[in-house]
Amino acid sequence: MAQTVSGASGQVARAVVLFAGAVAFLFPFYYMFIGSLQAMPDTSPAGALPSTGLTLGNYREINAQVHLVRSLVNSGIFTGGVIACTVVFGVLAGYALARLRFRGRGTLFAVVLLVQVVPFQLLLIPLYVLIVRSYGLADSYPGMILPYAINTTAVFVFRQFFLQLPDELFAAARVDGAGEVRILRSVALPLVRPALLTVVLLTFIGPWNEFLWPFLITKQTDMQPLAVSLANYISNVAARAANPYGAVLAGACVLAAPAVALFIVFQRYFTSTNIGSGVKG
Amino acid sequence: MRRTAVPAALLIVAVGLAAGCGSGGGAARKTDSARGPIKVWLSNNKEEVTWGKAMVAAWNNQHADQQVTAEEIPAGKTSEEVIGAAISAGNAPCLIFNTAPAAVPQFQKQGGLVALDSFPGGADYIKQRTGQTADQYRSPDGKYYQLPWKSNPVMIFYNKEIFTKAGLDPENPPLATYDQFLAAARRIKSSGAATAAIYPAPTSEFFQSWFDFYPLFAAETGGKQLVSGGKAQFDTAEGQRVAQFWKTVYDEGLAPKEKYNGDSFGEGKSAMAIVGPWAIAAYGDKIKWGAVPVPTSTGKPAGEIKTFSDAKNVAMYSACGNRATAWDVLKFATSKEQDGALLQATGQMPLRAGLVATYPDYFAKNPAYKGFADQAARTVEVPNVPNSIEVWQTFRDAYTGSVIFGKNPAPDALKQSAEKIDKLVGQP
Amino acid sequence: MPATLLPGGPIRATRDRVTALLGRHPVGLALVAPYAAFIALVFAYPFGLSVWMSFHEYFFTAPGAQVDRPFVGLRNYSAVLSDPGVRQAFGNIVVFLLINVPLTVVLALLLATALNRAVRARMFLRVAYYVPYVTASVSVVGVWLFLFSSGGLVNKALGPLAPDPSWLVNEHLAMPVIAVFVAWKQLGFFILLYLAALQNVPRELYESAAMDGASRWDSFRSVTVPAVRPATTLVVILATITGANLFTEPYLLTGGGGPNGASTSPVLLMYQRGVEQGHPDVAAAIGVLLVIGVVLVSLLNRWLLERD
Repeated sequence: MAQTVSGASGQVARAVVLFAGAVAFLFPFYYMFIGSLQAMPDTSPAGALPSTGLTLGNYREINAQVHLVRSLVNSGIFTGGVIACTVVFGVLAGYALARLRFRGRGTLFAVVLLVQVVPFQLLLIPLYVLIVRSYGLADSYPGMILPYAINTTAVFVFRQFFLQLPDELFAAARVDGAGEVRILRSVALPLVRPALLTVVLLTFIGPWNEFLWPFLITKQTDMQPLAVSLANYISNVAARAANPYGAVLAGACVLAAPAVALFIVFQRYFTSTNIGSGVKG
Repeated sequence: MRRTAVPAALLIVAVGLAAGCGSGGGAARKTDSARGPIKVWLSNNKEEVTWGKAMVAAWNNQHADQQVTAEEIPAGKTSEEVIGAAISAGNAPCLIFNTAPAAVPQFQKQGGLVALDSFPGGADYIKQRTGQTADQYRSPDGKYYQLPWKSNPVMIFYNKEIFTKAGLDPENPPLATYDQFLAAARRIKSSGAATAAIYPAPTSEFFQSWFDFYPLFAAETGGKQLVSGGKAQFDTAEGQRVAQFWKTVYDEGLAPKEKYNGDSFGEGKSAMAIVGPWAIAAYGDKIKWGAVPVPTSTGKPAGEIKTFSDAKNVAMYSACGNRATAWDVLKFATSKEQDGALLQATGQMPLRAGLVATYPDYFAKNPAYKGFADQAARTVEVPNVPNSIEVWQTFRDAYTGSVIFGKNPAPDALKQSAEKIDKLVGQP
Repeated sequence: MPATLLPGGPIRATRDRVTALLGRHPVGLALVAPYAAFIALVFAYPFGLSVWMSFHEYFFTAPGAQVDRPFVGLRNYSAVLSDPGVRQAFGNIVVFLLINVPLTVVLALLLATALNRAVRARMFLRVAYYVPYVTASVSVVGVWLFLFSSGGLVNKALGPLAPDPSWLVNEHLAMPVIAVFVAWKQLGFFILLYLAALQNVPRELYESAAMDGASRWDSFRSVTVPAVRPATTLVVILATITGANLFTEPYLLTGGGGPNGASTSPVLLMYQRGVEQGHPDVAAAIGVLLVIGVVLVSLLNRWLLERD
């Protein structure tokens, strides 16, 4: 193996750099967590390593103000709906764009690129009027999900993934006389799992963290996802709390925790197969 | 585009036919007198929700056939965009008890508001309840598209402990004139009693000027609005004095140029703050505070000082079907009894003539609020002009650039933004 | 289906006609249909309306309100282009991209290469680098404010070296801080893209490079970098798009694009003009210019990175 050539010193250096980087990346989160536990904010360097004065009071305050379970369920429905639509329809579209020749493919792909370029703020109000006035979907889950239903970056990633698969795989199946739909089912889909990691991850964060859209579309508090409840809490209630800054950070931690936890779970699940072994095996 | 526009148009026609009204005028008159269930939105701060729910419950008790449903919208800066979007989509509620006067011109232009004069005795009701101040809430076409509801007249709140530490008289602080104010601020800063003498948000949001420049401008001019008679009013000697005052504050580091992430006054970082009566409940027990009117260059007597009202009003939205019910609810919610309940629950000042005389018991029991109640009689609103928000953003940009960050001389900045604002209010 | 009854010619003729009309794999049309419908529904209509708006005097009205929407030609565009605030915002984005994109590409590729080999604590490392990406900006902006404000931890640690005015109110530093923040926030995703690409680089290339006596750095340059070039194109383009759509960070981190407009972005201006101030026509003109700009930059990137 090539790695053995330059020996252990390079490996150690790499490990040091990687871990130092990781610490730098995680530090703001550590600081966020510590800040959320402090009764009073402390910005001195010593404040980053507090030993006393830690309290769960900030969290207790959130729990008293926000219906966390209900909000989590709403977030779950919103995010789950988006992920389901994206995975199902995204795989189909990505595969077709990468591997099939049909009329309009070039145009559609150009549109895929354009969709990513256009800022959501440009579409926000026309979209709101369309969905609420023309489709009558205010205060409903479909209304919340619709604008995010198929994540275009995900389509793009699926396409890129199917493009990278070796042509021989498909040629072999075609020689066997398989139809395009069967090739998709028996050749392409079994290999798609690694791309799913990327797609689920990047699709997940959009609706989970989105504030403005679900907030516009829902006025009934029992329909609102966690990001909306917490943003309301942060903007209105927290300022009156005993330690507003701690309350804001605690809100941030509550919003981040499920995302991070789910991500850790997903990450373990999906890395068990990697692209290389799939293709070669 | 056309594909979706056509069904939408058909839908509107179908709805119109279903309503059974061929003639346009008839339809409007019919909704004006229609009764039935309605929806209202409340601001989502805890005290107002408590008041709102009790008010709705009291109404619903007496009107089984005209039930009111209340929903909450955020009190913060996002509430105007929520309302604007709801107007365009046609799903705004009947009444919103959180309509910012600065947003009314825009909502009106969108066709989103119902003129309250269209109800019998509508204009009279408003004038009687609010008195002279009501004039400030009239739109350029002479009609009322909002009912002046409650104000949060701003004053200077100061921390008595910090003042004592700085060697200033905590009971009669010398804060009436600009010179006194600046001398006190320097003292606070140099004695190290607090890191900031006063800490207005130095950021670029259009509404921030309501809590630094505008109250002092209202006081200095004896009650002029930012724009009046289609002309900007701040490119004047008074306006320059106010700008110069704040420029000195920033130049000498008496107020920081960076936003504080937290509550600077509540945490004792700042010795003073410009706040409304809500602050009494917020700081009541935590801090030994005092309140004085905003300063003027010559130190006018407190009884003559005008200030910014920071009012929130109630408006009726054109998507409302049962407007007669909505109008009755509006009168019910702003009755003497409900105004008293609002005062009790929130400490915010109902925009009512003779406030102190109307609720003598309350002010006897809560003397801290009396200063604000007196001040509530002398408030200045944001001007009700076209492009109102853009006017404020233009002003804010000029202000932050020159007064806070010193990029260009304040007189030039005021002059240029005044010219721009004259053009903006001239456009329909 | 009479064609199936007759073998030979007619079938092929029909197939040719179908091919000419729908392409070689008409089934592709069925596969993309849901996505195409989605695009038409939630993207094409509002986008088309926005473009139309940018050539008209337009504002949103309540249903049933009668208003004139006269065609105004390029008036909105000329208003936008002659506005110094808009020009400054576009300039800010250029500064942002010049810092953010190279930083993102270099760090993402280096870290992905290292992560691809590191076996020990790989999971911990991955999580560390991805966590900022999965967290909402709204959450982490709070911590950055805490770190970079004048009395914050960074300045306290720097002591006398702390910049004055402090980071977020310094007109030369506000945009770079935002660029670094976004690089930190997005890096996990780009590492992921590179990791996927790296796994497709054939082992044999490294082995033959090692046989030729190439050092680790040489093989990185001669094998890894060219092999992941398509991924680099993607990363550059996506980073450019993310940067061009910058909104949350100046909105929250620098209090609405401060100091004095030094960190305003075009999308923030669109929000101010279109949503806050009720001029969606002007906002749409800014949006269309931004889209044109990003498309041009993306094409340029692609041409620069993929020509050989």
